[in-house]
Amino acid sequence: MGKGQPSYTDEEFVAAIRRDDDRALAQLYRLHFPMISHYILQNSGTEDEAKDVYQEGVMVFYEKVRDGSLELSCQIKTYLYAVCRRLWLKRLTEKTRFGGHLDDHEPYLETGAEADLELAEERDRQLGTMAQALDRIGEPCRSLLEGFYLLDKSMQQLTAEFGYTNADNAKNQKYKCLVRLKKLFFNQYQEQI
Amino acid sequence: MKTEADYYALFDAYRSGGLAGEERTTLEHRLAADPELARRLQEFEEVTGTLTAYGRRLALRRKLHAIHADMDAEQAVRLTPLAKVAEEDERHEQFANGRAPRPLLRISRTEEKLRAFWHGHRATMMVAASVAVLAVFTTLLGLEMYRTAQKPSLYGYTVLRREVERIKRTQRNMNRALNQMDTPPTEKINPGKFSGTGFALTADGYLVTSYHVIQGADSLLIESRDRQRFRAEPVFTDVAHDLAILQIKDKSFKGFGKLPYSFKRGQSELGERVYTLGYPREDLVFNDGSLSARSGFEGDTGFYQISIPVNPGNSGGPLLDDRGNLIGIISGRQMDVQSAAFATKSSYLMRLVDSLGTAGAGKPYNMSRTNQLAGTSRPQQIRKLQDYVFVVKVYE
Repeated sequence: MGKGQPSYTDEEFVAAIRRDDDRALAQLYRLHFPMISHYILQNSGTEDEAKDVYQEGVMVFYEKVRDGSLELSCQIKTYLYAVCRRLWLKRLTEKTRFGGHLDDHEPYLETGAEADLELAEERDRQLGTMAQALDRIGEPCRSLLEGFYLLDKSMQQLTAEFGYTNADNAKNQKYKCLVRLKKLFFNQYQEQI
Repeated sequence: MKTEADYYALFDAYRSGGLAGEERTTLEHRLAADPELARRLQEFEEVTGTLTAYGRRLALRRKLHAIHADMDAEQAVRLTPLAKVAEEDERHEQFANGRAPRPLLRISRTEEKLRAFWHGHRATMMVAASVAVLAVFTTLLGLEMYRTAQKPSLYGYTVLRREVERIKRTQRNMNRALNQMDTPPTEKINPGKFSGTGFALTADGYLVTSYHVIQGADSLLIESRDRQRFRAEPVFTDVAHDLAILQIKDKSFKGFGKLPYSFKRGQSELGERVYTLGYPREDLVFNDGSLSARSGFEGDTGFYQISIPVNPGNSGGPLLDDRGNLIGIISGRQMDVQSAAFATKSSYLMRLVDSLGTAGAGKPYNMSRTNQLAGTSRPQQIRKLQDYVFVVKVYE
């Protein structure tokens, strides 16, 4: 929270994040971290766990905003609290030491966090499968696809990087790789489901 | 025949809008007619979509990590002393803005560990603490209850001194309620805290009573049947046999006169008819029964068991047989047994008196050896006896 930074209202935050405004994201992140950190520490968590849970929570929020599918019926703060609370509850039950008991009050607000989290979990699974598929596809497909889809490099750049004679060759290679990725991805995804 | 990669190239172009009008419509027609092709397009879209989403997710994670690292770095800077002033300024600014400052954790390594321990074991420790507190209080309460339950009768044994104050108080309250008069408080005679019975040991002012009657006494007052009062002092006590010898210290005291009864040195027989006189209430009370055992409570051979109904206040009273021999001193009773009272054997009293006499403590005891009661009827015996039995009042 440096000096001279603009402070946003909740609506402005949402609008700014939709515009891909990184400063707004950073400010939002800083604004609510102490609350979640305090909460996790109060409920037998560590600083690192607080960070993980909070980042996951912010990610859920961020992706909803970017999707445009966020229907915020409460403050961002409450939403984040509800999401992080759920996430932490899940982790605690995994640890099983406290049987998932939390020393707090359930916010009786319709935050929509529950449903959002289920969607997010489904998405996590999907993305996890994608990561595995990418791991197994092998070079040079992996670098090529990562370069194009993850790092947003242009075909020309990639052509130069991988030493293809022209962009069409690179493109053809990319499509072959995509087909392989598709097979790996769907095989694994179906296995998991 | 096209390979799948060729189709993908086609889809890619289609999705990025790189297809010219005619090609586009052909593809759309084919998609509508061929479900296999439509499925391929769908798969293609899912794979590329997931890939892009994955890319965005990674980017976002990097971003958040960067933000967090920034935050940590800032905090580290703040913690250095140089930055403190700046931090103070910022805090003021934050207060001025109406925003709460972020809580800063400045804690040492050991404290950090302690905190982690506390967070981890808080619930357990609290349960343990409450159990401990509960246990302590239950124990204390239980002990207290046990003690109060034991107080009136130690192992079922009750000493028979009378708590005058309690009785008097309820009586006074009753009287006050009955009369309901606003009489100015007259000078009250302190009735004493406890009372028991005592009887003359020698003609020159020695008396015998039970030790527990005078236990804890500040001063003693002897009151005869005709309401004469003398101040007395304990001369000797025997806790084991519950005996006390008192001496009247008043100058006005002229002596009891010749004692009508004698003290028996030997043991009495079982089944002997015995009786006692005492002051369980304000008046002299007679009670009789038989000698039922030659040992007392829990086999104590210093005592007789007698079947005389005795009450608080009888303690220290004389126990006499048919021929007017003093054979014991009333001491107590057993609560859980029907009419089992106990009396110290007179032989122990005699032994005590003898040892005092030979030790030369004070004047020698002139014990009466003659017995004027033998052969007379009970009422006659009692008429002669009653002047030698006294109320012992105890002040604490």
